[in-house]
Amino acid sequence: MSDLKNRKVVFYLFLVYNCALKLSGRTSVNKTISLWGQSLYRQFSLMLANQPKLGYYLHPLLNWNKPALHPDYHSARVVDFCWETEQMLSVWLEPASSWAGFTPGQHLLVTMLHKGRYISRSFSISSSSALFAQQKQIRISCRIQPQGEFTKALAADISKLTHLSISDAMGDFVLATTADTALEKSIVMVAAGSGITPLWSMLSSLRCWTSPVVLFYCVKNTAQAAFLTELKLLAAKQPLFELQLIETAAAGRLNLVQHLKAKAGFSLTKSLYYFCGPAAMSRQYKDDLIQQGVSSTAIHAELFGLAVTAAEGPVKQALFMQQGKVTTVEAAAGVPLLQAAEHQGLTPRFGCRIGVCYQCVCQKKSGQVLNLRTGQISGDGPEQIQLCISAAHSNLQIEL
Amino acid sequence: MKLTEQQLSELAAELDQVKAGVMSQLGDKEARYIRRMLLTQRLSAISGRVLMVLGFITPWLWVLGVALLALAKILDNMEIGHNVLHGQYDWMNDPVLHSQRFEWDIACDAGSWKRTHNFEHHTYTNIIGKDRDFGYGLLRLSNDFRWRLRNLWQFVTYLVLSTLFQWGVSYHELAGERVFFGKKKPDRVNSVSHTDLKKAFFGKGARQLFKDYVFFPLIAGPMWLWVLTGNLLANIIRNLWTSTVIFCGHFTADVHTFTQQQCEGESRGHWYYRQILGSSNFTGPRWFHILTGHLSCQIEHHLFPDMPALHYLTVAPQVQAIAKKYGIAYNSGSFLRQYATVVARIIRYSFPGGRATTV
Repeated sequence: MSDLKNRKVVFYLFLVYNCALKLSGRTSVNKTISLWGQSLYRQFSLMLANQPKLGYYLHPLLNWNKPALHPDYHSARVVDFCWETEQMLSVWLEPASSWAGFTPGQHLLVTMLHKGRYISRSFSISSSSALFAQQKQIRISCRIQPQGEFTKALAADISKLTHLSISDAMGDFVLATTADTALEKSIVMVAAGSGITPLWSMLSSLRCWTSPVVLFYCVKNTAQAAFLTELKLLAAKQPLFELQLIETAAAGRLNLVQHLKAKAGFSLTKSLYYFCGPAAMSRQYKDDLIQQGVSSTAIHAELFGLAVTAAEGPVKQALFMQQGKVTTVEAAAGVPLLQAAEHQGLTPRFGCRIGVCYQCVCQKKSGQVLNLRTGQISGDGPEQIQLCISAAHSNLQIEL
Repeated sequence: MKLTEQQLSELAAELDQVKAGVMSQLGDKEARYIRRMLLTQRLSAISGRVLMVLGFITPWLWVLGVALLALAKILDNMEIGHNVLHGQYDWMNDPVLHSQRFEWDIACDAGSWKRTHNFEHHTYTNIIGKDRDFGYGLLRLSNDFRWRLRNLWQFVTYLVLSTLFQWGVSYHELAGERVFFGKKKPDRVNSVSHTDLKKAFFGKGARQLFKDYVFFPLIAGPMWLWVLTGNLLANIIRNLWTSTVIFCGHFTADVHTFTQQQCEGESRGHWYYRQILGSSNFTGPRWFHILTGHLSCQIEHHLFPDMPALHYLTVAPQVQAIAKKYGIAYNSGSFLRQYATVVARIIRYSFPGGRATTV
């Protein structure tokens, strides 16, 4: 009883405190009201439907004929698809009106229903902002990964897919505004393979060209270069745009600094850099440029490619995130992640430790795990896993 | 009869194989099934609440409304809630059907349920002193427990418990942790503080009470009394049904119990063995199985708690054949027969003596 009384006192103190805050003008009234409104709505929804938002309760009812629509995301109709190269599939989508649009260069999480389960993967948008403005359509272009779960499923199902779910567009890998480029800066882009997608979206969206752009497009061979015709067309039409196709199978890896230094009238430090490709590539170029005196704020990079790399040894790194604190756990092959995390001093919630009770389930944000009871290897996207019977199959990010 | 460790590990391998056969095939069929259940549940809940208000046209509409709301609550608790909370549909990666996020239309907080049911009951099934679901600390159901005077009227206790079942379930963990009454047991390690337990208990309980006995009667205006009574009836129907199903799954005549010594460091095979002997099935038509949340296949449920429940019926013959092969009793019978033995068991152990059911 005294507990309840205490709580009442605390509540009134909270009220008085809030009024005082408002009077002193430290918190805006609107913000306070909106916060109270949100928590009131949550309580109401919990009371009425046992869900944090009524949308979750109504979802099975309102979208009974749209099972592919994930309740957290927007619906997008599949308009068309085509194969850009043998391995790259482009899909045109028409997002529902609730989708807010994007800035060229941004990516989104695409979710599909495959064999009854939602699987997700993030993709950069590869179409121009004009296509969205005029036809309300966007395009994603995906390189089909033979080891990947999502892209394989997408390629298999695409001819019968009618809808996908998409998240809001996100990411800050976007072209600097004209104001930033006004200081006669030129732009250097490097795309490796499917890393062309966000860069092509940026390029095809550019309306008024104010600064020179050079694009180094690294592909194994020309057959694997998506959007090549369009890029060549742009280069022919736009004098400020220069396309440099690097066939790595023949020419080896691009030495960026050497290439740029050889260019007449080009200043390394007066340029903005945009890299899109494997993490190792971006890191290498970034280090090289910084050594040459380029400021790191001038370098933007978007990471592409699967989390699994051959370079990872038998012991993987699992990053456990708990209330903003990140702990790196060495996860040896075949050792349950629960055990590995506890060995590192973490205390995840657990129960039976034999895969029965689901107390230790938590969110994996990226990476692949091996289910020790079934031997199944998971996908690479975000999903929930049982810590006590999962072992690391790649480097991981896990939220506790 | 006793099985050797060798036999137990063979038993485990065979049952694992049965499970793998189903789990490797999970896909569209199961997803469509559970989504159809969700749709049915939502439709019956909403139409039930509307029809109750329309009772002023003819009371029959009110009766239909009560029945539909009871059906919605039963589906929500049994075929959807209980199974989803076991993680049976976690593989779908759907936030509405995920064990970590699911909350149900019952007084018991889902988190508390997952600790006492998924962990305690399913890990330590029928181990005397570890599985508090065996008799719920209220009923004496075998001679493993000392007879006390209060057992004399335990049939009445049982009837009251059944009628208020959702509150019994909701209070279960707090009783075990001795939050309000009794001396704390020294061997109990609790992962959740008493404050959090109380918060969840009162919070969830208050929301449920407010919904059924304040909010909906209020918006029904002049029909408030009809709605309030209808909600009360629907809750009671659900309570009686869930309690009866659960009692028929664990407290029939031939269900066995185990001692803690028997289960120390037990193998996976012994765990399976214990699950078969600690549960009982009952038969009925398909719709009947759905209303029980497939707990009519309690044995299969205890062997494979995370297998989507609609498959229990299909693996039951295989499980029964395996049980027969190893000479393990497979306890199954008609619903009425099983229930009769439950009643008999409650009454028999109201009195001193009787037989201990530990194997």
